Amino acid sequence: MSDNGLDPVIHAPARLRIMVTLSTLAVGEDLSFTRLQDVIGLTPGNLITHLRKLEDAGYVTTLRSGRGVTARTGVSLTSAGRGALERYSTALRQLLDGVDPAGSAGTSRQEGR
Amino acid sequence: MNENARPEPAESATADDSGEELDLGRAAAIMQDARKRALRELRARYPVVFATWGLVLMIGYGTMWLSVLGQHPYTGPAPWSLVVLTLLLAAGAVTTVIIVGRALTGIGGASAAQRRVHYLALIVGVAGIYGLEGALAHAGASDSLLGVYGATAPMLITGAVYAASPALWQDWSTRALGAWLVVVAASSAYAGPVGVWAVAGLLAGLGFIAVALVRRGRDRV
Repeated sequence: MSDNGLDPVIHAPARLRIMVTLSTLAVGEDLSFTRLQDVIGLTPGNLITHLRKLEDAGYVTTLRSGRGVTARTGVSLTSAGRGALERYSTALRQLLDGVDPAGSAGTSRQEGR
Repeated sequence: MNENARPEPAESATADDSGEELDLGRAAAIMQDARKRALRELRARYPVVFATWGLVLMIGYGTMWLSVLGQHPYTGPAPWSLVVLTLLLAAGAVTTVIIVGRALTGIGGASAAQRRVHYLALIVGVAGIYGLEGALAHAGASDSLLGVYGATAPMLITGAVYAASPALWQDWSTRALGAWLVVVAASSAYAGPVGVWAVAGLLAGLGFIAVALVRRGRDRV
């Protein structure tokens, strides 16, 4: 966790877009790699790199199925990923509201200035 | 060509990999923008689909009603009205395939499989209904009976599939539409072979329009 209480794995533009995009799917659904790439607007290489970081953190899972012309890689958010994004969103909202999410709950940063 | 296979890495990500450079306001804007874009790209415009089917039913069934209005004895709809209804149903089906297919391309998983089963059940059910109508005619069913059956049976099967589809269990408005279609199909049959087209077409069409408005309002939130 970074100083500001935001998860550094998520707190990067590309990974934030990936997490938010996947969170709009229903639980049990996944999105093909190529469609995710279309929606996010990243190059394949960039997308793979960011997906690996999210996968290492346990936030997304990729599943390869089929062979040849029917081959498909499905990407989905894990339950840990949904929880992490929810916590990130809450922390971000608190920071924007001037509340320190990393411990001093209810203490406004502006009060200390 | 395989469009869904995962390609090999072509380059490394560096441009937006440094979380420290992302300020809070930009992060919030990215979240909002990504969510809006994902919903626009990945969510089918069901209000348009439901509104289309509402119009198809009201215009198509209305045309059938006009073609049988005043028949004594009842002899069945005119061929031209059957052509109009068939063309309208085909237009509704094409609109649905384009809108839903475009949005849901690339989405997989259990719920996507349930959706495919839902549409397959609809196609098989409606095809079976028309097959049975042919058999009834072959067995000597009267024009009046075939008229009532032709207007209500497809609606009954559509309503039953909508009301019972696991893919739609979490959407109360679509399940309510399914129940409404079953009620309309069963009750409009009492209007007889002429009136059934007007009653069923109007009530079912309004049901589709109502769900389109409900879902449009909900999608805006």
